[in-house]
This record gives sequence, structure tokens and C-alpha cells, in this order.
Amino acid sequence: MIRSAFNRIFGMLIVMALVVTIVFVIVRVTPGDPAAVMLGPDATAADIASLRQRLGLDASIPQQFLSYIGGILRGDFGQSIFLNMPVTDALWQRAEPTFFLTVFSLTIATLIALPVGVLSAYWRGSAFDQAATTLAMFAASIPSFWLGLIFMQFFAVKLGWFDTSGYGGPGASFGERMHHLVLPAVTLGLISSALITRFTRASMLDVLNDDYVRTARSKGMSEWRVVVKHALKNALIPILTVIGLTAALLISGAIVTETVFGLPGVGSLIVSAVLRRDYPLIQGALLVVAGLYVLVNFIIDMLYLIVDPRVRY
Amino acid sequence: MKRIALAVATTAVALISTDTLAYAQTNGGIIDVATIGEPPTLDPMASTADLVGIITQHMFETLYTFDAKWGPTPLLAAALPTVSEDGMTLTIPLRTGIKFHDDSVMTAADVVASLERWIKIATRGKQAGEVITGITATDDSTVTITLSKPFAPLLALLSLNNAAAIIIPAANAAQDPLTSFIGTGPYKLKERLPDQYIQLVRFDGYQSLGGEIDGYGGARNQYLDEIRFVPVPDPNTRIGAAMAGQYDYVDQLPVEAFQQITDGATEPVVLAPFGWPVFMMNTKEGLNADIRVRKAIQAALAPEDMMLAAFGSEDFFSIDAAWYPDSFSWHSEVGTEAYKPLGDTETAKALLAEAGYDGSPLRILTSRQYEFHYKMALVAQAYLEAAGFKVQLDVVEWATLTTNRADPALWDIYITHSPFLPEPSLMGIMSDTSPGWWATDAKHAAVEAFNAESDPAKRAELFVEVQKVIYDEVPGYKVGNFNALAAQNPALDGVTPSPWPYFWNAYLTE
Repeated sequence: MIRSAFNRIFGMLIVMALVVTIVFVIVRVTPGDPAAVMLGPDATAADIASLRQRLGLDASIPQQFLSYIGGILRGDFGQSIFLNMPVTDALWQRAEPTFFLTVFSLTIATLIALPVGVLSAYWRGSAFDQAATTLAMFAASIPSFWLGLIFMQFFAVKLGWFDTSGYGGPGASFGERMHHLVLPAVTLGLISSALITRFTRASMLDVLNDDYVRTARSKGMSEWRVVVKHALKNALIPILTVIGLTAALLISGAIVTETVFGLPGVGSLIVSAVLRRDYPLIQGALLVVAGLYVLVNFIIDMLYLIVDPRVRY
Repeated sequence: MKRIALAVATTAVALISTDTLAYAQTNGGIIDVATIGEPPTLDPMASTADLVGIITQHMFETLYTFDAKWGPTPLLAAALPTVSEDGMTLTIPLRTGIKFHDDSVMTAADVVASLERWIKIATRGKQAGEVITGITATDDSTVTITLSKPFAPLLALLSLNNAAAIIIPAANAAQDPLTSFIGTGPYKLKERLPDQYIQLVRFDGYQSLGGEIDGYGGARNQYLDEIRFVPVPDPNTRIGAAMAGQYDYVDQLPVEAFQQITDGATEPVVLAPFGWPVFMMNTKEGLNADIRVRKAIQAALAPEDMMLAAFGSEDFFSIDAAWYPDSFSWHSEVGTEAYKPLGDTETAKALLAEAGYDGSPLRILTSRQYEFHYKMALVAQAYLEAAGFKVQLDVVEWATLTTNRADPALWDIYITHSPFLPEPSLMGIMSDTSPGWWATDAKHAAVEAFNAESDPAKRAELFVEVQKVIYDEVPGYKVGNFNALAAQNPALDGVTPSPWPYFWNAYLTE
């Protein structure tokens, strides 16, 4: 297992090196630059050139890359051009809404998806199964911004139960801030539940027909024990993968949902960084996001080893 | 129904702006203002972005500002400047006892240091810096500016709130970027959480100029305890927020949301007219370097259809050839005959044939950041093709557009817009270096005469000459006038509709 872990970590390092390089090149070759955005629409070309010089953007790309890599190796991700603070501080400031949004939406998604998926498989072909499969298909096809706006119209504008956007003003309590996360979490939870439901159902169908399930039944075990203890436990591996990837997707910023609900999370930070061409922030944020993805994958791989001792890498 | 509501909104706006003092004002309260996003900086010298000006005008002040008729009026200066006979020396008396947010007192030395910073780093300051030969403190409360030639737009440049000539303590003037946001404004910065809020609180040491409220000039009352600017970048979310009444003021809503806002918890505020969309021509390189091609474009375009596609209803735009609407002293219809609301395809075809057009594509650079730009581009494309042009639409996002427009090899037309600026010299088209690079003898003659004249009535006449040259040489095509829509809490009073809304003098009635 330790050897497998080392192999995995080595692979992770290669992936991260590739990410650093690709992101650096992509943001530099994309047209548009932070100086023009910062100086506003009426700035002259000379103003833009002098600000570029001050920001160090006039150096050659290889020079900029070397100084960036040097910074990363020292743990310095650079300084956000627009926020005027270290990139790590900016990301840390945005971690809270994104973290709790991820936890809430994943909880909602799992609470819906696991029972529905299991029962759908158990009652395969029944009205319940058909209804659940159709609804899951429907949920998977809904764009999150649309569902978010519909919820906003109904629960915020019409009923006034929630604020339409934001994360609370100065001095907002923890409870107030969490209240702002309810609508986005439900939006994301419902949409994410579709995929997890489908995987749960498919995975359960695979195992429900296996010999050991029939054996368990023939031994006179209760249906509950057969389904949950024997079948579900063995069906968990693909389900865990999907849950893990969904978590990584949500942590990396539910970009659209955060933008619609005006949440100051990692997703909206990335969007605004891209629109403003805040190079250090784009690079830092994508590096952290890629790192989280790789880490979640690593954790899932390690969980496989625990859940299924037959797995070898 | 919509028309009645619109009439009510516009009338209410007129009442608010003319009779602000008719209601009893109360002190206290906090307002939340939804803005279109996070400003790129809080240093109003460092950016020409409207959003920066809207927020920072509460924190920083300039020597002059604009009155209700867009004329310069004193703010930190005690009076309008005394101008020498030859127009080359301006003596500016300063108000005394003005405090900065750090409780230090403003002196002539602070003003000199601030203006020097302005001509060094601000886009508009650099423009003035080309003719400014000296800024000196004559005594503790007088500053003298000397010029190399008479320059009438200086007062307007000193009054504007973006790339603004703000006055800051001399000790902070060396900061670039600015890190201490210490001004003399009625509100001071308490906390900024980027993408979350900018919290401004009442500055107790503020000294209002007093007198009648007159546009941005006159008394600045601090009824509100706090003003919080909250970025809400998604326009649909701003509409939802306005309908729900979550914010006391919601800036820049799409005009097509008028009915939804009317039916919601806030009241619509219509600013008519707000500004103009313009097609800027690349006079330096490519197809449009030929004036005959530009004239063919001018003839081919049909502004009525373009504006209708862009703004949906005639309630939200007007077809107007004059570069300034009739509410400005710069308004004149003279020389605008070439503007045809429905286009003139036949004339365009003839002009194009005369130019010997070789069929190479006319590249229109635009963005969907402002959907109305894109919609106008689509209609323009159809009319230009009908006149015989081959059109290539280059649709990019805004940051790319701002970079690409600086390269004359990349475009023939780019689309932008602007609010009506109080002083015509502030328009990009008036500068030789702004993208489009319009620099001809006829332009220089008209613009220099306009810039050298200081008498307002004569300047208005001289602007007519500038407008004539614009129509004659087509460095840009003004499409029409369009309105802006905002929304405000019915309990919020004292807000005068403006392209750069401000909240001193605003108060809550409930």
C-alpha cells in the first residue's frame, strides 16, 4: 500500500508541474491585459505600457515564468494585481463560502441520491424507478444558473425568505452567512444528486444479481441487511468516485452558481480574476484547484485500497 | 401600462431632482447600493472607470465639481479661478480649515502635491500636464497653475470624478498605487472586503460647502450613517435583487427589466438620456484610412433599427444626430445632415464604388460584455452588407477588446459607449492618441480653437464647428441617445439621477 501511495504521489507531482506550465502559458497568450482593465476605458496606450512595466509584465515570458516558478518553490504564489494582497490570502478569504457550500450541497445530494438510487435498483422497473430515473435525467439536464434564478425568483423575490445575493454585510454572524448559502446549496445539491443517483442505481443493479446476494438471501437474512450490508457496501466503489469528483468540482468553485448568487467564493474569484486578467491570481487559484482535484483523486484511490483489498495499483 | 409607469418614473425623477428639499430629512440609517462589480482600484486618479468614480467620489474631493447644468463649480476651492489676461495663469483660492479623514488640515502644499501626482499618473491629468508648466503654492490658501497656452478644458478636467484630480495629504502623494485612502469627502472608508462590500461611514470632521444643493456642487449633507457598495455583477441577479428590495439602490439594470422593476419592491429610476453608443473608426490603417469608405459607412448605417434592436423599445432610446442632447449647452443640429435614421443604401453604394472598394472584409471589433453593442453590430452588419461591404464581426470579451483596439492592424471599427461627458474635450475622439487615431488639420483647427476659448457661450458656438468636422471626416459614428435604468427603495430620498449616482444628501424616510 505504501508503494502504491508513493507511485501515486509521484504521478501527482508530474500532473502539478504540467498544470503550472500550461496555465502560465494560456493566461499569457490570451489577449487582454490587467493594465488596460485597471486603467479603464479612456486610458491611453502610453499609460497602459507604463503600468505594464510597473507590474513586471514587460519582461519576456520565459523570464516571467522563471521568476514565477522560483516564487512557487519558496511557497510564494505572488501578489494579486487588483486585490493588492498575496494570492494565498485572497484564496483563504474566499475559502469559507466555497467550503460550506460544498459541504451543504454534497450533503443534500448524497441524502437524496443514495436512498433513491438504492430503492430504484431494488424496485427495478417499478413506477418509483421510472419516476426516479426520469427526474434524475431532468435534474442532470437543468443548467445551474437557470435553476438558481428560478429559486431566487420564488424563494427570495416572491416569498422573501432569503436574500437574492451576497454573503452578508459588515459584522454578519455565522448564521447569517450560512443563511445566504441555503438557495445555492439546494440548487447545486439537486443538480449533483442526479449523477450520484444514476451511479448508485447502476452500481446496485450490478451487485444485486451477484451470487453472494442470492446466498445471503438464501441464508434467511433480512432484506435490509442484504441490501445495505452486502449489496450497498460492494456497490460503494464507483459511488465513492462520483461523490469524490463531485466534491472536487464543488470545491473548485461552483463558478456559475457563485456568480448568480453573488457569493464571494473561489469560483467567483476565478471568474473575476480571468475577466480582469489578474495573472498571479488566475495562476494561483487554478494551481490550488488542480491540487485539490489531484488530492481528492488520491484520497479516493487510497479509499479503494481500504474498501476493496483486492485493488492494486 | 408600461408607458404610464415610465411617465410616472420620469416625473418622479424630475420631482426628486428639482425639489429635493421638500421633504423632511432625517439623520441616520445605512444603505446598501448594488453596483455592477468590484472596482479595479479605489484610487480615482489611477482609473477612468465610472465604477471607480461612483464609489470614491464619496471619499475624495476635487477642487471643482459640476453643478446641475454641468458647469464647473467650487468644491475644495473657495471660488472659480482668476484667469490672467493671456489665459495662461490660473489663481485658485482654497477653502480653509478643511480636514482630511486623518484629521490633518488641508493646505496649499497638499493641493500642489496632489495635482503633481495627478499630472504624473492620471490619464486626464497627463492630458492637462501637456500644457501645465507649473503648479505652485502662492500662500497657505492659494495655488497658481501656469500654462504654456490657454486651455479651457482644464476646469472640467479638474472637476471630473474619474482619473480625478483628488486632493490627498502631501504625505500620501508619493504612493503609487495608493494605499492610504485618506480624502476630504463626506464619507470615509471603514472596511473593504473585495467582491463582498465596501463600507463607507460618515466623516464627522467634514465641512460641507453649504448653500443650495446644485448638482454635485453646493451643500453636501451627511444624513446617512453608512453607505455600503455591494458588487452584484450578474445583471439578472441585480434585477432579482431590485424586485426583492434587497438593496436601497441598484445601479445599471437592463432597460428591458423596466416592467419587472415596476412590479417589484423598488421603484425604477430612469435617466434619460444617459449616453451614446459610438462606432469608432480606425483612421490610421486599413479600409477606414480612406475617408470615402468612412463616408460610405456613415451613409449605410440605419441608427433607428440599430437602436431598436439594442434597446427593445423607443421608450429607452432616441434618434439624435447631435453629439449632445438638447439638455446640454453643446447641443446643435448643425452639420448633421449625413445622419440618416433609416440609412441611405444607394448613396452608400455610390460612395463605396467611388472609393474603389476591393471587397476586403470590414472588421468590426465588439464584445458581448454589453449586449447592446453586439446587437447593434448585427444590424449594422446587415445594412453594411446591403451597401456592398463584406463584413467580419470579431466578437471578443471586453478585456481582449481593450487590448486589441490599441493595435491599428487589428480592426476597422470598434464599438463602445459613454455617458454624456460634461466637457466635450473629455471625449476620446478629441484626442489624437485615442484608438481611432483621428488627427487631421481640420480637426486640429476646430479643436484648438475650442480648447483655447474660455467664454462658455463662444465655446458652445465653437463646438458646432467641431461637430461639423466630425460629420465631415467621420472618425466615429454616434448611433443615438440611450437611457439608463436603476432602481431605488421607495423610502430613499434625495438621490438625484446622474450618470455617476451619489448618496450624500440622500436620506431614509422610514
